[in-house]
Amino acid sequence: MQKHYWNEYQKEIAADRYFYARSCIRQTFFPGSETAFLKILQDELGKDIYDSADQHTCSGIGYHGDVVPFLTTSTVIARLFSLMTEAGYKNYVPSCITSFGLIVEVLDTWKHFPETLEQTRESLLKATGRTFEIPENVAHPSDIIYKFRNELKSKMKYQLIEKSTGRPLRGVEHIGCHYAKVFPDKGVGGAEFPHVLAGMIESWGGEVVDYPERRHCCGFGFRNYLVQANRGYSVSNSHKKFESMAPYKPDFIIANCPGCAMFLDKWQYTIAEMEGKTYDEQGRGIPVFTYEELAGLLLGYDPWKLGVQIHQVQAESFLDKIGIEYNPDEKYKGASGEELEHPQKPSVLKV
Amino acid sequence: MNIVDCIIIGGGPAGMEAANRLTDQGFQVLLFEKEPELGGKLRQWDKLFPDFTLAQDILKMLNDNIASNKLEIKTGNTIRELRQSTDEGNSKEWEVIDGNGESHRARTVLITTGFDFFDATRKEEYGYGIYPNVITSVELEEQLKNGKIEIASNSKNDPNIAFIQCVGSRDEKVGNHYCSRNCCICAVKQAIEVKELLPQSEVTCYYMDLRMFGQSYEELYRKAQQEFRVNFIRGRVSEISPTLENRVILKAEDTLLSRPIRATVDLVVLMVGMEPSETTAQLSKSLNMSDPYGYIASKNSYTADNETQHKGLFVAGTAKRQLAIPDVIRDADAAAFTIAKHLKNGK
Amino acid sequence: MIENILDRLKADIRFQEGLTSCMNCGICTAICPAAEFYKYDPRVICNIVQSRNINEIEQLLKGDEIWYCGQCMSCKTRCPRGNAVGMVITVLRKLSQETGYFVESEKGRQQFAIEKAVGQNIINQGYCVHPDIATYENHPEQGPVWKWYLDNIEELSTKMGAIYKQRGAGALRDVGEENLDEIKKIFEVTGGMAFYDNIEQASQKAAEELGVDFQEEYFMKVYSENSGNHNR
Repeated sequence: MQKHYWNEYQKEIAADRYFYARSCIRQTFFPGSETAFLKILQDELGKDIYDSADQHTCSGIGYHGDVVPFLTTSTVIARLFSLMTEAGYKNYVPSCITSFGLIVEVLDTWKHFPETLEQTRESLLKATGRTFEIPENVAHPSDIIYKFRNELKSKMKYQLIEKSTGRPLRGVEHIGCHYAKVFPDKGVGGAEFPHVLAGMIESWGGEVVDYPERRHCCGFGFRNYLVQANRGYSVSNSHKKFESMAPYKPDFIIANCPGCAMFLDKWQYTIAEMEGKTYDEQGRGIPVFTYEELAGLLLGYDPWKLGVQIHQVQAESFLDKIGIEYNPDEKYKGASGEELEHPQKPSVLKV
Repeated sequence: MNIVDCIIIGGGPAGMEAANRLTDQGFQVLLFEKEPELGGKLRQWDKLFPDFTLAQDILKMLNDNIASNKLEIKTGNTIRELRQSTDEGNSKEWEVIDGNGESHRARTVLITTGFDFFDATRKEEYGYGIYPNVITSVELEEQLKNGKIEIASNSKNDPNIAFIQCVGSRDEKVGNHYCSRNCCICAVKQAIEVKELLPQSEVTCYYMDLRMFGQSYEELYRKAQQEFRVNFIRGRVSEISPTLENRVILKAEDTLLSRPIRATVDLVVLMVGMEPSETTAQLSKSLNMSDPYGYIASKNSYTADNETQHKGLFVAGTAKRQLAIPDVIRDADAAAFTIAKHLKNGK
Repeated sequence: MIENILDRLKADIRFQEGLTSCMNCGICTAICPAAEFYKYDPRVICNIVQSRNINEIEQLLKGDEIWYCGQCMSCKTRCPRGNAVGMVITVLRKLSQETGYFVESEKGRQQFAIEKAVGQNIINQGYCVHPDIATYENHPEQGPVWKWYLDNIEELSTKMGAIYKQRGAGALRDVGEENLDEIKKIFEVTGGMAFYDNIEQASQKAAEELGVDFQEEYFMKVYSENSGNHNR
């Protein structure tokens, strides 16, 4: 019997009444996932989650891109807390992992250096006339889906099982670095074997792949992607992960960080164009999903409303393995129902 | 009720040696041991560093002395409580409640409850308990004792074997800032033994500092390099992950070359450090004499290293700190001397 | 040379917290994604900073090395002394920009591109990242589906429940003037705006010294220039 010391460790995750803080990267690349998260919480689980019209960035990408000073970032975050306080909520749920990690860092700094909290309060008051309360609980949406994974399972139409063979599907779980690497006690299961995504895969019928570069960064590296000249760093890190996971023949990848999900998807196209290489047997690439997309697909949500068609690695191979029903005619239609001109086909990666 | 001169708690090398030295001098001794046999962790060991003395030879000497001495021994008995006697006028006496709930009284008590090995599952990044080819130095010693090293990987090539130092020592993450002192030289000893059993294997030792402070330690290190071609890389291993061939990959930096390295190996030996044993930690806590890690703090580590802050209560061996077998035996001798002086002076 | 370089480093809480005592064990470099890709060794950075050698620290502030780190913070998880090299890097980068030394290295000069793109987007749109700035032309590696999405963003994002550039709650919403005004004021009050201005001024001066047109060419130069001398 394998012993995972951290598996016994479960962090505190609020059970209801959440203030939802949206993410710049998620809304850009996975708008359907944020929609699905709210739908899952409200419709499937009957939770109260508030989505403010006045919210904005946490400035995290600017902070880790080293152009936004700490006090500025902590004050921008304080304004978000102020919106939460104003709306009468105490449980803060940041959609993005960078945001989650940064908020944990800011709260930790305030705790150990109370003068920085005072400075932030003064700055916010001076700039906006606002005050705020510190959240009682900070949990990432993946924590919340994890918490209710078994409840969701009972509502799911499908499982992570290959229809034709009954074989559990093999999932690579990729955890965003800032989820638990800085503060291991803030992640479900800690930093080394986080259970947050693995727990979903296991509960929903699949198997988790343990491969050598499991913990390695996807390669976003902030300035290493933001600046074109540095993107070699970014792609080489994802490349390293693909090379390491491919021999295990994963059926899919899930990530809880928006950057990771995007890079692990898009870099498969880039690597295919650069080297002619794909990481599955059919040449289609390994489909990458957010945890909400995965949950949504298993719950029987329309894949095209979840937005899996805007991934570069197409989802059909995965949908067909499980036997998830979908209407191929709707794939390229817009909100108006009009058929849009189809995207160009890549030269290597099959779609 | 009979009041003995000294109750010794813990029948490892320290407790055995002190029991012998006290009975030699005619004192009445009662020795408690939680295991069915005396000998402590020495029983798990095959050969001792730095000269490959058989552990069982040392054990035999201790046992022979015990057999020739008249002392009462209670094995398989884990004491429940140690306290100063509450009877009026007898406040200088000590009382032990044993595992059967029986009370025993003594004029002095010597604690020799020793250490435990660090639980390597706490360093999750090393995959101990998860990947079968990651073992501890304790498990390797058992294999050496049996004369056969088990390699779990499917590899047909000559095995690559890695020793990893400082597992559970010098590590803020697990709360142990201290150096366990014995692992460096123990790895050198075990590496040589591995090469003797598997001459074709590649053996590499990953270390931060090689602390070869004891007599003949440095010479053994040199011998490992020169005669046995054991490789030494200065870098602390960061993580261990599995491969499809049942091997494992370890990541470290060769800090002397300033270069990250990846090594695929067939067997990893974690040099687990020392921690206070459960009983040591319990006693140090209940009697308010704990150092920051749960070891028992002596009264003065320079001049009264076998005494504690409590009159009539003494300590010896690895219940205090990390020591090797020769140090432990010398320390037990010193404790016996101190206790004898205390008993003769009647205070 | 700035004499108070050490004092300025030590004044930052993240520096005090990030580096207490390094044993040079290399556990950080062992799993550092940047150390594998670049001529970079976080352990050596720690060693230099710990040495308190002002000349060497100044060279760090002027060089490429401190800009290689990807801020993944994997080093923090493993360090047996509880140091966070990534955090120390953050402080060194801050000081490099405050002193203007960042323009002396190719990787440092890129801060201008990040300030222009991400930094200004926070002020103008209330987001660090937005589809409008992730253009296909500047991000060809995103692939043809990304181009297709951007070409049809209103139709597609609406299908996925977003409210592209509309006021209200939802993904891709217009953040609204009243909110943007407060964000801007926060940047003014907390020194964020001054930090941006400083990057721009130092970059303008660097452009002049390099003989590059600041308005027309400098952004693309720092955004895309790669000497090829950075890798292992």
